[in-house]
Amino acid sequence: MPQDTPSPIDLPEPELEDSGLGWAFGTIAIASIFLLFTNASSLRDWIDDQPPSQAQLQAAEYADQWVETTEGFGVGLPHKALHDQWKRAEQARFPGSHQKDGAGEGADQ
Amino acid sequence: MLFPTLSFGLFFLVVFTVVWAANGSNEWRKILLLVASWVFYGAWDWRFVALLIGSAFLNWGSAELIWYNRDAPDGRRRAIMIAGVTGNLLILGFFKYYGFFVEQLGDVLHAAGYARDLPLMQVVLPVGISFFTFQGMSYLADVHAERLAPAKLLDVTLLMSFFPHLVAGPIVRGSDLLPQFEESPRLTRDMASMGLVLILWGLFKKAVVASELSTGLVDPVFFDPASHSRLDLIAAAYGYAVQIYCDFSAYSDMAIGIAALLGYKFPLNFNQPYRAQSLQDFWRRWHISLSSWLRDYLYIGALGGSRKGLARQCLNLMLTMLLGGLWHGAKWTFVIWGGLHGGVLALERIWDRIRSETWPRLPKVLGILITFHIVLVGWIFFRAESFDAAIAYLRGIGTVGVASDVLTPLACALILFGMAIHFTPVNLGQRLALQVRLLPAWALGLLVGITILIVDAMRFEGVAPFIYYQF
Repeated sequence: MPQDTPSPIDLPEPELEDSGLGWAFGTIAIASIFLLFTNASSLRDWIDDQPPSQAQLQAAEYADQWVETTEGFGVGLPHKALHDQWKRAEQARFPGSHQKDGAGEGADQ
Repeated sequence: MLFPTLSFGLFFLVVFTVVWAANGSNEWRKILLLVASWVFYGAWDWRFVALLIGSAFLNWGSAELIWYNRDAPDGRRRAIMIAGVTGNLLILGFFKYYGFFVEQLGDVLHAAGYARDLPLMQVVLPVGISFFTFQGMSYLADVHAERLAPAKLLDVTLLMSFFPHLVAGPIVRGSDLLPQFEESPRLTRDMASMGLVLILWGLFKKAVVASELSTGLVDPVFFDPASHSRLDLIAAAYGYAVQIYCDFSAYSDMAIGIAALLGYKFPLNFNQPYRAQSLQDFWRRWHISLSSWLRDYLYIGALGGSRKGLARQCLNLMLTMLLGGLWHGAKWTFVIWGGLHGGVLALERIWDRIRSETWPRLPKVLGILITFHIVLVGWIFFRAESFDAAIAYLRGIGTVGVASDVLTPLACALILFGMAIHFTPVNLGQRLALQVRLLPAWALGLLVGITILIVDAMRFEGVAPFIYYQF
């Protein structure tokens, strides 16, 4: 990059000699597999949101089975527990707050 | 296709794999990236892919003509450059400003007693048009000034269409990206580690901080300021300052990170803007690719900068910021926002000129506080639906009543967090990347997966579009 337009990608120490391609592939693959197990419901929800077709129906069926399988092992529990905690934090109010029911809900960008 | 969605995640996995598999041929790699960029853009509206291609042809052809006439008198080359820039401005003007100007013209004619039915029509705004037309114009200016040789059609089209920066920047100039297109890139561990850090950090800022503040605090208060207390109005103003930073800088971070994973380096676009000690300093830290574009091509290139005395410099600053405001959208509130920034920038220059060296300097903390609150007032105009709404909002802040309807402990914590990140060490992300690059792939993969899982658990349901998509 030219000197007057620095990039955050240029780290302030000498570059490592190793190629990063296989390493990046490995990292992304491991992360994807991890999420496939621990957050199967997101994939199912995404498939459910796709336009209906024979392939979509088939995929939705597989996704439902996959969610059931992962839930059977309990690997989705940490995500659910954290989500519940976050929801509690969202609902928390200051003492004496005049919060109206549903305030903020449905507000859009 | 928004960055923090599963649709984009799956799209990126395919692009990442296919593009690196084709790395043996740089030309094929670029063609694949171009097709991927059109698929990405076509997810909004396929019709506008043709506009993107047409715009690339316009700039490629104009640059070729300028270069072909490089031995001709400068007047001819300048005329070609101006014709090309005008072409870009016409595209931008039609899609973005046609309705606004016809409406204003109608009001003026009506006031003058010439009521006429003007040809009003609803023009759909193509996503990212302000970004790719500005890229095209700077490319032509650079070729005209011989700072850059004209590039091949494929490279110019990819420069303007490259999906990481296509819809909301950064405005990556030809001089930044075209030299990188000349050879197949190499993905280093540094690039990959910093890319991943930026993507995850951007994901957190957008999906957790910006979305939560937007839906829980800012949107309800700005939608109906009259029914909210003074405390709510103040909190929502601070909330919006944090939201817009976390939203826009998140997009930039993710764009830079995604480009890095594909082997390309984008310039820095944000550098802790709310720690700025003056407005001039703020514009060196906020949307750097736009502010440096306006500085180089408009303020200095077209208007002459400070070369013609203080009065002309102040006028140039004001004009630059007014046009910078209008760049954001065809609304008077953006013009006022630009005018406020231009006015304060001009006042800073005047103060610098008249200030005696013997006078004490403003304490650093005070400079930061004053600058931030000027920016904050500007954001109220920037966010408000109209000038009247902004004034009503400011009046509301002056009224009594501190009972809050919408302010929550979580919103307070997120506002404080959003401000605190401006005062962390400058290169914290880079230091983290230096540690990350030493990890084995399996460990980093688990870390990335856990981080995404945490962000997904904290995110507000659904993903709101990025604020800068509308520009």
